[in-house]
Amino acid sequence: MPQVKIIAKNFMDMVAALPTLKLDKLYENTFICEAVLRSLPPLAKKYALQLLYIEEPVTAKSMEEWVLPDGFSKHRVAIDRLIQLRVFIENPDGFSRKKETSYKLNPRFQVNLQNYTAHGGVLPRESMSSSITVRLPTAEELDSYALEQWESFLLQLISSGQIEKTTTSFSPSMMRIFQQGLVSQRDREGPRLTESGFQFLLMDTNAQLWYIIREYIINSEDRGVDSADLISFLLELSFHATGQAYNTSTLDEVQRSAVKDLADLGLIKLQQGRKESWFIPTKLATNLSVSLSDSSSRKEGYVVVETNFRLYAYSTSKLHCEILRLFARIEYQLPNLIVGAITKESLYTAFENGISSEQIISFLQQNAHPRVCDRAAPSVPENVTEQIRLWESDLNRVEVTPANFYDEFPSKDVFEGACDYARDNGGLLWEDSKRMRLVVKAEIHTLMRDYLHRQK
Amino acid sequence: MASAPSKQYSDDVSVVMVLLDTNPFFWSGANNTTKVSFSSFLNHVISFLNSVLLLNQLNQVVVIATGYNSCDYILDSSTSESINLSLGNGKMPALCSKMLQKLEEFLIRDEQLSRENLPTGITSSLLSGSLSLALCYIQKVLRSGRLHPNPRILCLQGSPDGPEQYVAVMNAIFSAQRSMVPIDSCIVGAQHSAFLQQASYITGGVYLKPPQLDGLFQYLSTVFATDLHSRSFLQLPKPVGVDFRASCFCHKNTIDMGYICSVCLSIFCQQRKKCSTSDTKRNSIEIYNHHLLPVAASG
Repeated sequence: MPQVKIIAKNFMDMVAALPTLKLDKLYENTFICEAVLRSLPPLAKKYALQLLYIEEPVTAKSMEEWVLPDGFSKHRVAIDRLIQLRVFIENPDGFSRKKETSYKLNPRFQVNLQNYTAHGGVLPRESMSSSITVRLPTAEELDSYALEQWESFLLQLISSGQIEKTTTSFSPSMMRIFQQGLVSQRDREGPRLTESGFQFLLMDTNAQLWYIIREYIINSEDRGVDSADLISFLLELSFHATGQAYNTSTLDEVQRSAVKDLADLGLIKLQQGRKESWFIPTKLATNLSVSLSDSSSRKEGYVVVETNFRLYAYSTSKLHCEILRLFARIEYQLPNLIVGAITKESLYTAFENGISSEQIISFLQQNAHPRVCDRAAPSVPENVTEQIRLWESDLNRVEVTPANFYDEFPSKDVFEGACDYARDNGGLLWEDSKRMRLVVKAEIHTLMRDYLHRQK
Repeated sequence: MASAPSKQYSDDVSVVMVLLDTNPFFWSGANNTTKVSFSSFLNHVISFLNSVLLLNQLNQVVVIATGYNSCDYILDSSTSESINLSLGNGKMPALCSKMLQKLEEFLIRDEQLSRENLPTGITSSLLSGSLSLALCYIQKVLRSGRLHPNPRILCLQGSPDGPEQYVAVMNAIFSAQRSMVPIDSCIVGAQHSAFLQQASYITGGVYLKPPQLDGLFQYLSTVFATDLHSRSFLQLPKPVGVDFRASCFCHKNTIDMGYICSVCLSIFCQQRKKCSTSDTKRNSIEIYNHHLLPVAASG
């Protein structure tokens, strides 16, 4: 699933784009250092670890000797990333006199990680004892809570026109921010999903989550919240233990307001005791920083596609139904089963909406039912994938080229001269010698005009 | 068309099995010419364990203590108890306090065992036992779940090889080779270990005898913290020479030349009438020379 990587990488790019001062301040927090380190490419992680106890700057030349010739491009990528995130500092003071480039670990980063290796990882805050928190949800309850919350958020996101009940407390303005780019609002037709909106729905949960989180952070400045604070809280959150209760009173003002929003997304569950209130991180939250480097939380699939283009989805989720409806005709819904068919018409609507055949196929493959995955045959029948691709290429039979039409030539000679000239310039699209008409690509129109003027 | 989802995590997620040599005869000094105390050795190792865990959230470390008479798991980072206790007692993080406690219990048990049968001859550690434990654990990891991390074994060995374990160690090495698990070896003792040289050579691991042990952590983090994915494009120590000599089955001596049974490939240091392993008659016992038969002798 490359999407998670792209989107998650964008998130770290956002961190990298923070001003130097803010970034250095972020590195005072051990958890940020940890999360940043884990988000790096494997080679970069290794370099950071290797320089952990080296106080002197290391020259770029000597680092190049660490890699084999094959790995040189990876080496470059690793070093660039380390510098971008200010984990490596290029030419630290007092060393720049020499002409060679040299690198040193960011001192704050270094100290924090040295502590980590010496003392091991700790949790950001102490979990509450079970005597205060009366009954904590079980792991399954928490998972289904997170899923439910996230799905209802998504449903609301894509169908804001007909909100049946407000399940989330996001203000309409917040919601509109999330919908930017995903849903186009036209007054008469009501909201319609845009091309990227459809693609968003076909992504896996982690990728969607990162997308939303990124929007949330980008817009935090408008709400008067420092984005660096939010980033640090989110990264810290992913180091909490899933299913443990943490006291809300340990949070500061910014975090407390963020906690409410995150609960709406299903990242955490809020509970209220007699005196205290606490929050419980769900799997979605703790997976956040894992998916920075790795997309491991492969969900159990639910879709079975048969060679006769029929589609069975073992799911009770309304959201799954909506997603399938994007490219398939839903025929009936049973309590735990959605039955549909992939038809030419349903695919054409999908293509019109900007979904590509590859996206549909990869969605079907990624969400294939485990029984189908275990078979030796491909999880989606080959005749179905081929047909989906063929139907898409059918649509692309007509190619549009801007062109100019020339008419009423004075004589046959002029007409033929013009044809040859256009052909020589590679711009002749169509000619009718009987009626002396000619179509030429728009890009050589000026050349054509000059030529015809000269003929007069 | 996309292939079926791979059972492995991408790139660099690893489970590292660390075999810790806790042989009291080595650390107590008679053999120990390296001037590194056990406690400072442990410090380096704990830092190394932490840094492996730091590199990836999904990384796992398992530590197996290799004693004189026995071996046992003393740390498994994947079990929940090691996570939940992290805040148990303020100063000392749970990971290492738990490990140190288990290590102590292990050492006491190991010592009791050696009271019963006093050591004679070479005081080697039970490397074969801990290698087998590590491989068992790895098999469990490989067979469980839809996704599994890349396993590898790291032997931190100080005490000399025990020739009597030759067959068991070689069997463990070949089974590691079959399941594509590299065995890395870091020698903290005075002499090279022929067993581990062969182990790393055969399984594609790294063999290193650090010249200076005060900077052990740097060696560990530079060489042995490298995940299998990155190894393909990094310069790592190459084997200088591998000691391929075998041990004879009759007296457990390391030999250059000997006799080999052509039926079961058992190796003997003296000519004998009948192979003790397969009951083959003498005429089919041939001369064994390790220069001619480097690896095949045990295959």
